[in-house]
Amino acid sequence: MGDRAGRGLAPADRRRLTRPAVTTTKRPAPPEAPRRRARPRTRALLLVLPAVVPVVAVVGAGLTSALLLSVGLAPLVGEPAFSLDAYRAVATDLGTSLRVSLGIAAAATAVATLVGLCLALAVTAAVRRSRLLGTLAALTIPIPHLVGAAAMGLLLADAGFLSRLLGVDPSSWPPLVGGRLWLAVVAEYAWKESAFIALVVAGVLSSRAASYGETAALLGAGRWARLRYVTLPLAAPALGATAAISFVYVLGSYEVAALLGRAHPEPLAVLAFRLFTSIDLTARPQAAAVAVTTALLALVVVLLALRALRGLAAER
Amino acid sequence: MSAAPAVPAASRVGRGLLGLWLVLPVVPLLLWAFADRWSFPALLPQEWGVRGLTEAAASGAGAALLRSTLLGAVVAVLATPLGAMAGRALASRQVPGSTAVLAVLMSPLVLPPFAVALGLDVLLLRLRVPAVLGVVVLLVVAALPYTTITMRAAYAAHDRGFEEEARLLGASRWRTVRSVQLPLLAPALAGAAFLAFLVGWSDYVVTLLIGGGRLTTLPLVLASAASATGNDSQVAVLSLTSVLPPVALLAVVTLLGRRGRR
Repeated sequence: MGDRAGRGLAPADRRRLTRPAVTTTKRPAPPEAPRRRARPRTRALLLVLPAVVPVVAVVGAGLTSALLLSVGLAPLVGEPAFSLDAYRAVATDLGTSLRVSLGIAAAATAVATLVGLCLALAVTAAVRRSRLLGTLAALTIPIPHLVGAAAMGLLLADAGFLSRLLGVDPSSWPPLVGGRLWLAVVAEYAWKESAFIALVVAGVLSSRAASYGETAALLGAGRWARLRYVTLPLAAPALGATAAISFVYVLGSYEVAALLGRAHPEPLAVLAFRLFTSIDLTARPQAAAVAVTTALLALVVVLLALRALRGLAAER
Repeated sequence: MSAAPAVPAASRVGRGLLGLWLVLPVVPLLLWAFADRWSFPALLPQEWGVRGLTEAAASGAGAALLRSTLLGAVVAVLATPLGAMAGRALASRQVPGSTAVLAVLMSPLVLPPFAVALGLDVLLLRLRVPAVLGVVVLLVVAALPYTTITMRAAYAAHDRGFEEEARLLGASRWRTVRSVQLPLLAPALAGAAFLAFLVGWSDYVVTLLIGGGRLTTLPLVLASAASATGNDSQVAVLSLTSVLPPVALLAVVTLLGRRGRR
């Protein structure tokens, strides 16, 4: 055994062996001399590359290919020539779809953030903490959005479960599924995302809020003062980040609106998908134009969210 | 707390509503799955049975279930070690330009999957890459943000001292990974693998766009059933089939996490 151990040691470790034994609590500063400083960085780089390379390759290739297709530089037939025809042809639909998608994403995110925050507060409350709600929210996470859409269909359609529960006749039931207000679509996203927001925010609150809350209570802060000046500021960065992730997710999501939405107008993903799978091959560059626009929109939203979050973090 | 006697009642109602919000959408699924006949005004099915189950089986749910499981497993097996390595590197704070690297690794979370898939589909067709391979690669990339962020958090809380101790005692680098790092990080790894599995398991649009119908997973079967009318019990059975395996996995992962914390 001793022989094997001796052979297994790298020179660097032999050097380390001569130093006093290291305590287990904290990693000491790297013992390497300045000329060896490159090594941990190289190792870190080598560790991160196997993940970075496929992401750059897939995302880069996908978006570049979509961009080239949308501006006529990668036509399926004929000579490549730069043109914005695809964008021009789809402009009207694109405008409508942008508005629909932004509206759905905003409504769903607003509801999800509010409900998610309430859930997080109930799950982490100092008094009468609800473990059941935490478990229910956790169980909602692995439900695929497609299943959520199917469930919302069975719940909210005319003659669905809710109309039976409330005893409303199908003829007077509001068109929640496929209606003008996209209510079933918004409800599905709000439902799923509220659980996601709740779990992340509850995670942040449970690790930090209790001690601050107790201190504030000791100093005489009431229920509302603690919520306003302790809990909400602590929750705000996580709440903002999860809200932004939810918003961008809904913006680029396809299946829920495809299943529960109406045929016209279409959200961005549905429009792109219909154009892309259309028999008419000239519609493909238009689909790519919608895809590029959606990707750009998502990036802009994320950059704005990051700026806002930095502001939130700086405030404290 | 005696100042406001109305608060407990209000909070109880609030909690009830929150519970209802989480549970209500699942209730019709559970009822419809075992309803042979359930016409309008009735609050509960008039005839219970397994017609939904037989219809779902006839629509190819069994094979699709197998394919979805395999797809989720492959995505998890590939994305978890990659995310763990990246997470370790990022937690060590030795990665040059770590903010940019993290931004790149998080980008699949932000970009609309259909946009990337749509562009990639054209490219893969030109390069004659098999559709299934394209689906797997894209889904692994989609899963990497989850595995990376989970493992980065785990490695940030991980005590490297144990590894140094093992190395001091003469364990090789690989032995240290196997006998010290992996057992200590098993709960986080299980969590990361679970999230990666979910990405493969529940994906619809990537499988549809790039797979081009050649890879019929459970979501594809469910979507085609749900877009038709009059087969609610079949849709409910397919939905429950899509929910139960990941929920069972979640229970296993949670138990693993509890054991790991002890």
